[in-house]
Amino acid sequence: MKTRRLLIAALLLVLVLMAGGWPVANRWRPHTFHGMVIQSPQPAPDFTLTTHQGQRLSLSDLRGRLVVLYFGYTFCPDVCPTTLSEWARAMRLLGPKADRVQVIMITVDPARDTAEKLGAYLAHFDPRFIGLVGTEDEIARIATLYGIYYQKHEDGGENYLVDHTATQTAIDQEGYIKLVFPFGTKAEDIADDLAYMLR
Amino acid sequence: MHTKKFLILPVLLIALLLAACQGSAAGGKTITVEGAWGRPSPKVAEAGAFYMVIRNTGKEADRLVSAESPACGMTELHESVMNAQGVMEMRPVAGGIEVPAGGQVELKVGGLHVMCMQKKAEFQPGARIPLTLHFEKAGDVALEIEIRQQ
Repeated sequence: MKTRRLLIAALLLVLVLMAGGWPVANRWRPHTFHGMVIQSPQPAPDFTLTTHQGQRLSLSDLRGRLVVLYFGYTFCPDVCPTTLSEWARAMRLLGPKADRVQVIMITVDPARDTAEKLGAYLAHFDPRFIGLVGTEDEIARIATLYGIYYQKHEDGGENYLVDHTATQTAIDQEGYIKLVFPFGTKAEDIADDLAYMLR
Repeated sequence: MHTKKFLILPVLLIALLLAACQGSAAGGKTITVEGAWGRPSPKVAEAGAFYMVIRNTGKEADRLVSAESPACGMTELHESVMNAQGVMEMRPVAGGIEVPAGGQVELKVGGLHVMCMQKKAEFQPGARIPLTLHFEKAGDVALEIEIRQQ
């Protein structure tokens, strides 16, 4: 009789430990990033462009926030809306933490993407997203700094397409490039990585 | 008794006619399209993409050669391809999209799609956009694109 009581007590203790221990162990487990982790020895290169609302904005103005850079264009029917939809969904998944995230789309098609057009386009996905416009030279220089390639296709007439690197770059609160997300990364994975960076 | 007989005859005739109609439709239609959708997009987005699965139940391969929609000023068949450098390239598909005999082809995000250009209006969630696909052998296939998030 006594041994049975002891056994039950021991079992209960194990159960309680398991229930309580699991979240603790989970918190101690290192985070596995979904995006590609970048170890930057230097802060992300600073630049200044014009927002869709017409203000000059430098990357350094956003220090203290998690900044996501995406290079795209509004005429892009497949890749850009897909990527922006996932980021909009990731922002919703992040809840209040999303207030510390700034998603930025820099146009790779400054000839067609006016500030106004880019603003209306991004508002459709998430009104918190900022669109940046600039001259052909300014954008080409910044894209090169971030390892982004883009090339306009002259054969399409006025409906031309622009090939472009479809990755998204996450810059941490201290201004260092931390993660690169490939095209097709799901909102759940993005939100998981961002929530960890904002912990 | 007489009234019952009078009733049976027309009912039988109608049933026969219906069966005949269905039979001919199933026999002549080798192309079916499933899960046709597109993303909601604002008016300022001048282009949009339509995705779907095209099945060919016929014994011969067929080819989607073009598409048209009253919602688009211009419609092309396109493919997004990621090159070795991780750059997304998008190109018109030369010669159309082949649908193998007894097989299917999937038009999907980051791959083959129908590109709607000179979009005439905003695509709102829940909207249904008419689209006609032109096939080399099966001819025209009319369908609706459901506008939804994913």
